[in-house]
Amino acid sequence: MKLSIFLFFLGSGLIFSQNDSINKLDEIILRGNFSPVMNSGYKVSVLTDSLLNRSYKSLGNLLQEQANFYFKQNGNGMVSSISLRGTAASQTGVYWNGIEINSALNGQTDFNTLQANSFDELEIRKGGGSVLFGNGAIGGAINLKNNVSFQPDARGEVLLGAGSYETYFSQLNGLFSTDRIYIKAGFGLSASENDYPYLGTDLKNDNGSYSNYSVNTTLGYKLNEKNVLTLNASLFDNDRNLSRTLTTESNAALLNTDMRLLVDWEYLGNRFTSSLKAAFLHEDFNYLFNQEITDNTSKGESKRWIGKYDLSYFLNKEMFFRAGLELENSQGSGTSISEVEQTDFSTYLLFHHQPIKEFMYNLSLRGGASSAYNIPFIYSFDAKYLVSQNLALKTGFSSNYRLPTFNDLYWEPGGNPDLKPENSLSGEIGIDYHHKMFSISGTAFVIKSDDLIQWRPVTSDFWQPQNISEASNYGLEIMGFIKQNFGVHFLELKLQYDYTKAMDDETDKQLIYVPKHRASMLLNYFWKQWDFNYNLQYVGEVFTTSSNTQSLDAYWLSDVSFSRRLLKDRMDIGFAINNLFDEKYQSVAFRPMPNRNYLLQINFKI
Amino acid sequence: MKKSNLIYLLSLCLFISSCSDDDPATIEPPKGDFENGYFVTNEGPFQNGSGTLTFVNDDGSVSQNVYKTVNGEDLGNIVNAMYIEGDKAYIVVNNSHKIVVVDRYTMEKITVIEGDEINNPRYFVANNGRGYVSNWGDPFNTSDDFIAVIDLNSNAVVDVVSVGEGPEKMIIEGSNLFVCMQGGYGINNQVFVMDTNQNSIRDFIVVGNVPNSITKDSNGKIWVLCGGSPSWTGSETSGSLYKIDPSNLQDEKFDFLLTEHPGLLNHDNGRIYYNLDGKVYQMNIEDSALPVDALNGLDGIYYSMEVNNGELYGTDAGDFASEGTLKVFSVTSGSQLETIATGIVPGNIVFP
Repeated sequence: MKLSIFLFFLGSGLIFSQNDSINKLDEIILRGNFSPVMNSGYKVSVLTDSLLNRSYKSLGNLLQEQANFYFKQNGNGMVSSISLRGTAASQTGVYWNGIEINSALNGQTDFNTLQANSFDELEIRKGGGSVLFGNGAIGGAINLKNNVSFQPDARGEVLLGAGSYETYFSQLNGLFSTDRIYIKAGFGLSASENDYPYLGTDLKNDNGSYSNYSVNTTLGYKLNEKNVLTLNASLFDNDRNLSRTLTTESNAALLNTDMRLLVDWEYLGNRFTSSLKAAFLHEDFNYLFNQEITDNTSKGESKRWIGKYDLSYFLNKEMFFRAGLELENSQGSGTSISEVEQTDFSTYLLFHHQPIKEFMYNLSLRGGASSAYNIPFIYSFDAKYLVSQNLALKTGFSSNYRLPTFNDLYWEPGGNPDLKPENSLSGEIGIDYHHKMFSISGTAFVIKSDDLIQWRPVTSDFWQPQNISEASNYGLEIMGFIKQNFGVHFLELKLQYDYTKAMDDETDKQLIYVPKHRASMLLNYFWKQWDFNYNLQYVGEVFTTSSNTQSLDAYWLSDVSFSRRLLKDRMDIGFAINNLFDEKYQSVAFRPMPNRNYLLQINFKI
Repeated sequence: MKKSNLIYLLSLCLFISSCSDDDPATIEPPKGDFENGYFVTNEGPFQNGSGTLTFVNDDGSVSQNVYKTVNGEDLGNIVNAMYIEGDKAYIVVNNSHKIVVVDRYTMEKITVIEGDEINNPRYFVANNGRGYVSNWGDPFNTSDDFIAVIDLNSNAVVDVVSVGEGPEKMIIEGSNLFVCMQGGYGINNQVFVMDTNQNSIRDFIVVGNVPNSITKDSNGKIWVLCGGSPSWTGSETSGSLYKIDPSNLQDEKFDFLLTEHPGLLNHDNGRIYYNLDGKVYQMNIEDSALPVDALNGLDGIYYSMEVNNGELYGTDAGDFASEGTLKVFSVTSGSQLETIATGIVPGNIVFP
């Protein structure tokens, strides 16, 4: 295992070789709309496969550790929703190989239904980005990627693990590639009793067991030097009992299945690149109020057909245009939604210009139409200025939207077909300093949102979503990274701190479940065949009432892990202790999280 | 409570004590911190929390979260109702499936009634040493709803009477227990009448859809208010008001318009009160028709509403994610007397 693979790359440049159009073209092919050149004023971070494959983790847990993200979890393994920059879960765009995968029903992604090692790379781009990414990218955007590479290779990998609370997991991966063909398939299984004790009580998480499996396949075919076809397929099936709370027993369960298919044809020319994507996404859930009564459940399903075409055209070395079209037909149905269907269309245009070596900027616009609502016209501007080889200044300003979901529009009773999309304006400035052995960056942001959709009681027993609330978010994000060699000892340290104010404009109170302070530290130490990692997380106090009268205590969480490579690096044995200091904490009120727990895993490579 | 009432009450006490006995040594010591005043039960946040009790002292002071303050523990999830009988109070904790029995003066916990025969409890009433609990059972099973009968000496469930879907609010008149069969998550249209001597079914009176509140007037008549099926059900029905003679179970019916869905029925001093579309209506118990005009000054979409001694108490649950409020009005003048902070989702106002 190479040491560098643990690095958290600062994707967005400070890399000076990328001035010419060939490199920009390559980057656009590789990263699509997440490419740093099209996000000059923003920071695009990339988590690489070695990090994702290291252990069998939910995507949420990985992002918590690595990117200092904040998640609200209804107990370990239960529904986990993100809040980036203090925005709602539906205001973070989540993409799978460039295709938006937030649920059509509730607009969110449950980060415990995605397995980190199902992907080769994660691209993270904070800040308003609806122009490039579309619906919901207000707090930020996350892209889950499967890559193809046409270098002859054949590999197999088996991961086996076990942990506290009767937790077992395994992952099987196979890869075969030639200079024309790429085939990768993975199969993962995981199950846990998850019956951890609720610290300080006689209770335990006695209805918290889960089991899930995932299948992922990526096929690539290189037609010729300029044309590549890829196919991605993914299936995730999750069966969870839903945890009790401190005051209520539970006998509920949630079954959900996500199926995704994508065909992508990419063309790389001398002056332009294009990508034509066709995707089909299917989600369904079945909520059992009581596992013993299987005929009384709440079900929901959505099917989405998405066509997407992106084209980049280079006028010269300094300037290019990128344009895209997106067409989506989506259908929903379920216990509380009768058969509904809608069609959305949107298109965007971006202009990139690097008038001088030290300065580049992007201007972009997006508009669209829908059978269900009016899609607003939005715009964006961002720029980067290199003060020196080591120092970059960045800025971005954008308008953004989040579209109403099927539940908002059609839920019976209450769904409001007259809803408008949520609007927001966001701006940020950032500074990056980069040195051979360390880097430091800071970003200050502001988000002003209105027409936020909220379910409110119309009468005491009839609730309806309305475009009613307004919020102002602002904050600061600081990251420092340092690495150091001491002979055969290698150390790296990453520190992150986020300060977030997210105020309801009506009440002038902090929004619930948004910590003002969030910090993390990641320490990696490598020595010969040994790796040692220490992860410390701090989640500040979060309010649980909109009047800010009740809150959950802040908590510190420490996880440590060791691993050793054996048999010429063919085998890797790892041991982890999570919640080392047995911290008693809750992510959501009355829903305790696990005590100290242990995990052992073995990884074989063939 | 209004200051004039307090003075009135104080003068009455002085009058009684001074009349009955001149010896100051016989003035009883206070029985507890919660002797003089009334309670608001707060459901608490639905999924992840505990309900609470607010106590409004006659001296004007307000105490929040009194159960936890006294007992050091959470009451449980969804505190739906509370009933005071003798020197005890019975707190119905819906989603934690229990009845918490406390000393009504000190709020100290005495015991908890729970088990298979307390399942999704909704309301509690008591009479003659017996308590009656309406239970939904599994809310998605329409045939497992029941009334649990509790011996208040042993705090044990001594009988269970099966009823139809969604028993809710109850009232006792003589030996009859009247139960609004509101319908739970669905819609029902009956009033169940139980003979409490035998714990047997006396009758199921068919009323309008969604009987949501019940009260008893000064003549001993039972009033039941039906909200009717709301429009979102796709088969909207009008609200209706029933006046039932408990001796022969004959009823008199008052119809609302199709789109009118009243709720929060109350009786105070010979008058009936209810809320319709955020307005409060009053009718005399002898009136032969529904009132046309709403009372002035009392408007509000209340989560719960009580009329007591000429004052109207209405709670506002706000956004259901923060503390609510209780407003107190004078019914006659329509003026607001005070606003009192409550816990989260104030669902019931309970006078001793």
